[in-house]
Amino acid sequence: MSSDTLTDPRGVGTAPPPRGGRSRSLQWLDSLGRYGFVLPAIIFLIVFMLYPLVYTFNLSLFDVNAGNFLTGGAPFVGLENYVQFLSSPAFIPSLTITLVFTIGSLVFQHSIGFMFALFFNKGFPLSGLLRALMLVVWVLPAVVSASLWRWIFSGSYGLFNAFLALFGIQSSEPWLVNPATALPAVIIANIWVGIPFHMMLLYAGLQGVPIQLYEAAAIDGASAWQKFWRITVPMMRPVIVIALLLGFVHTFKVFDLIYVMTAGGPAGATNVLSIEVYKLSFEYFRFGDGAAAANILLIIPLLLSALYLWLRRREESTL
Amino acid sequence: MSTGSRTVTATETLVTSRRRGERRVRSERPRWGLTAIAVVVVGLFLFPLYWLVSTSLKSPDQIFTSPPTWAPIPADFSNYATAVFDNPLMIRALGNSVIISIGATLLTLALAAPAAYALARLRLRWTALLMLPFLVAQLLPAINVALPMFALFSQWGLVNTYPGLILANTVGALPFAVIVLRPFYLSIPKELEEAAAVDGATRFQAFFRIVLPLVRPGLVTVAVFAFVMTWGEFVFGLTLTTEREMQPVTVTLNSFIGLYGTQWGPLMAASTVVAIPLIIVFVVFQRYITSGLAAGSVKD
Repeated sequence: MSSDTLTDPRGVGTAPPPRGGRSRSLQWLDSLGRYGFVLPAIIFLIVFMLYPLVYTFNLSLFDVNAGNFLTGGAPFVGLENYVQFLSSPAFIPSLTITLVFTIGSLVFQHSIGFMFALFFNKGFPLSGLLRALMLVVWVLPAVVSASLWRWIFSGSYGLFNAFLALFGIQSSEPWLVNPATALPAVIIANIWVGIPFHMMLLYAGLQGVPIQLYEAAAIDGASAWQKFWRITVPMMRPVIVIALLLGFVHTFKVFDLIYVMTAGGPAGATNVLSIEVYKLSFEYFRFGDGAAAANILLIIPLLLSALYLWLRRREESTL
Repeated sequence: MSTGSRTVTATETLVTSRRRGERRVRSERPRWGLTAIAVVVVGLFLFPLYWLVSTSLKSPDQIFTSPPTWAPIPADFSNYATAVFDNPLMIRALGNSVIISIGATLLTLALAAPAAYALARLRLRWTALLMLPFLVAQLLPAINVALPMFALFSQWGLVNTYPGLILANTVGALPFAVIVLRPFYLSIPKELEEAAAVDGATRFQAFFRIVLPLVRPGLVTVAVFAFVMTWGEFVFGLTLTTEREMQPVTVTLNSFIGLYGTQWGPLMAASTVVAIPLIIVFVVFQRYITSGLAAGSVKD
């Protein structure tokens, strides 16, 4: 039933959906009619998602470039595009940058989000309103966040340098122009964007930890630290795993925030895989190479999707 | 405790959310001290947003100072004139985004509402299989769809068109919509449809007259999310348009960055204008967004 992990869209304690055996009297809803409802959406996804993905695979086997893109007749090159991309000087740095960006973002998004969730879980006047306000950041278009953080990280008059000045650090560093600081700066912007998502998922999870456990632990003289590691974390493990898994996939594929902040620069310092795929295809017009790179970019999200689906199924079967 | 029972707890969590908060509030004195801390912390977290809007209201003299001018006094609205109102390209882009977002939201609803219904009523084995494309689709990198789509849309004549952009944006929004909507149907007792069947209603009549009105909160949630996702969408807008006149506003905003360089006033004004529709949607539909986010999926 609840294949929909973390789901009760109303979120306000409605009764769980009915479950169990299907009633025979539903037979009037014959199978053809039932599939008729889902067919338009499935056909839509086949034509506009599945077919393009298969088409990418096809593209990746040909030397498609600006010259033959529209005219056709690109020569078949087999797996050469893959070999070329994997052995290109861009690949290893790009993969490393993607992983540093993803893990760096995720660790702080999750831990800061967790702190916010624990704090809001204490229950105080206006906590609901303040919690909701934080979500404005999550709703913001990535392009808006990116242009805002470009301004914050700019040199002489940027807010970030003014913030450092509060601690006595005099700096007029243009953070996004310096190859050594661009990646940390982009990660900071992305942490800001991602905190509300983790906070909301973890806050929802905290609601389900029985308060009696804490009361019992308090009687036994447990410290707050012990309560967190011995009760909260074990009880929250499924929520934590899902939040980290989804967070990883969604961070691994980030394109817009980085593209608008740095376009992969300076000197390739923020050149994540998705930007490399974009450049190959839409700047160098090497669509065959771009398609091969896109398929390599796809591998990690697909593996994690499989893990995500397996976790959902396991949860389903325990109900 | 076994892993299995922990998992159950996590799911129940969301079903029984709030219970604990209420109890806390009832049993203890209101803790205004914590509220004060929260106001400060949330204020700091949201400070970049204040910086966005306040910069947009500053004159260049107020922007280029060190230490910074904290408040835009007196407010200067000329950045909005420069970047938006006297800028036909920006006005055009805003119009494009309205057409694309509303079009994609309506198409998403039209496809997701019946699909989620079927997935809530089908036998479980098929449900798991049919849910698969929706679950996987929401985890795909947008560039993986945009690249082949550009190739295909070039052949089909859909590059630089509203229908092309609406279709692409729907690919982004549909999977999430189906996943969020399905539990709403699950929570409706199927006896209602059975009663309708006894009264001689066809399945389409039962769906449109009885089921759909009951899932209206779900439809609103999905519509809000589809609008938020498609208004902020960037990758399809960037790759599937080659003419400036057809760009959605996010892509036009990005091109401003090259155009204005470090003229932060106009840039922040344009950014604020792009954010405003979503801020309005957020304020009006806040409770739908909060609950939808708990549905365990995310926008791109």
